[in-house]
Amino acid sequence: MSLDYVKFSPGFEKFMPKEYRDMVEHGPFGKKTTVSQMGSFKEILEEHPMCAGCAMTLFIRLAMISFPNPEDTITVGTAGCGRLSISQAAIPFVYGNYGDQNGVASGLSRGLRLRFGDKPKDVVVMAGDGGMADIGFSCTLHSWFRKEKFTTIMLDNEVYGNTGGQESGMTNKGAVLKMAPLGKKFEKMDMVSMAKSAGCAYVATVVPNNPRRVEAVIKKAVLIAREIGPTYIQAYTSCNIEYAIPTDKVMEDAKNVEGDRYQFSEYVTDEAKQFLAERYGYKEFLPKPAPAVTKA
Amino acid sequence: MYLVADIDVDICAQTSCKLCTQFCPEANTILYNDQAGKEKGYKYGAAYVAVDRCKGCAQCVWVCDNMAKHHAIKMIMIDQLPNAAITDNVVYGEKSTTAVLTSPVVG
Repeated sequence: MSLDYVKFSPGFEKFMPKEYRDMVEHGPFGKKTTVSQMGSFKEILEEHPMCAGCAMTLFIRLAMISFPNPEDTITVGTAGCGRLSISQAAIPFVYGNYGDQNGVASGLSRGLRLRFGDKPKDVVVMAGDGGMADIGFSCTLHSWFRKEKFTTIMLDNEVYGNTGGQESGMTNKGAVLKMAPLGKKFEKMDMVSMAKSAGCAYVATVVPNNPRRVEAVIKKAVLIAREIGPTYIQAYTSCNIEYAIPTDKVMEDAKNVEGDRYQFSEYVTDEAKQFLAERYGYKEFLPKPAPAVTKA
Repeated sequence: MYLVADIDVDICAQTSCKLCTQFCPEANTILYNDQAGKEKGYKYGAAYVAVDRCKGCAQCVWVCDNMAKHHAIKMIMIDQLPNAAITDNVVYGEKSTTAVLTSPVVG
């Protein structure tokens, strides 16, 4: 949990593989890296076994680059496609039992605060729609009601992709899937409204076809979670296998879905706005100056 | 044999938009060399593909054709590539990377 763990052990430098060497010497640790610098530094994420053209991987890749302090970040996940690549990264990953990721993150976040005090250590939960809205629903909602200070990111592919295509709570009404041949009979769960009611300080929905926007959203969510309260990001990350999207049309699908049901939305509480403006200099949240009085 | 992405340096170096790098789902696969095309007078360099990491999804082709509208990326069979970059030959610099191009097909 510091820059100390991203350097060579004395005497072992020459035995390290190239990827490790590049990570220590040209990784993003201790620097400010942005999406626009992609392709010129060694990324935290490594090679992973996820499907070709997976939009979830793209989102995870962007998220890893967007963490404000990657050396002080721990990711927590659960069963599902996402953990296949989240675990292949140079930051610690905690793998909970199915559905308890927000419970694990609550304890982790409190423990880190006890151990490190004011020094910010970020806990980021990244899990799928099944792990968060179905099986881990109670852990997720209760962590928000308790105002646990960490970021929750839902990788919403609207299906149980890892187990062959069963419907999840986040699947759209009427969607016919391989393991749901009659079509889903109920509406998609409105997790965004639930997050607002439960007291999240920052709630956003985003689609990964705008990398800079993804970066901005994740930075804000992680920074707010340091002191203000729980934050929630819901990202549409299509499953090109279960929804039969040709891999080269994944971004076209993301664009269509963004126009249809996944418009970008952002909810920030006044307290969080003030925190971002005062502590991290976000100009968009600075109080607007009073209009000049002009004499008629 | 299988398909991998191949970027035309002459077209890419004219604009150097970097969109393909930002939309590739694989980490450190489409990399950026700010010296590419300098000998032909282009200023900002070009992207290239580390072919051993490319899974052939062709998202970069869609992004280059439809978002950037440059048409610089094509999918071609890996044994049709005379020379290509692979991860072992990539050298990271301060703000850019370079790669020694070798034949991607061994044996």
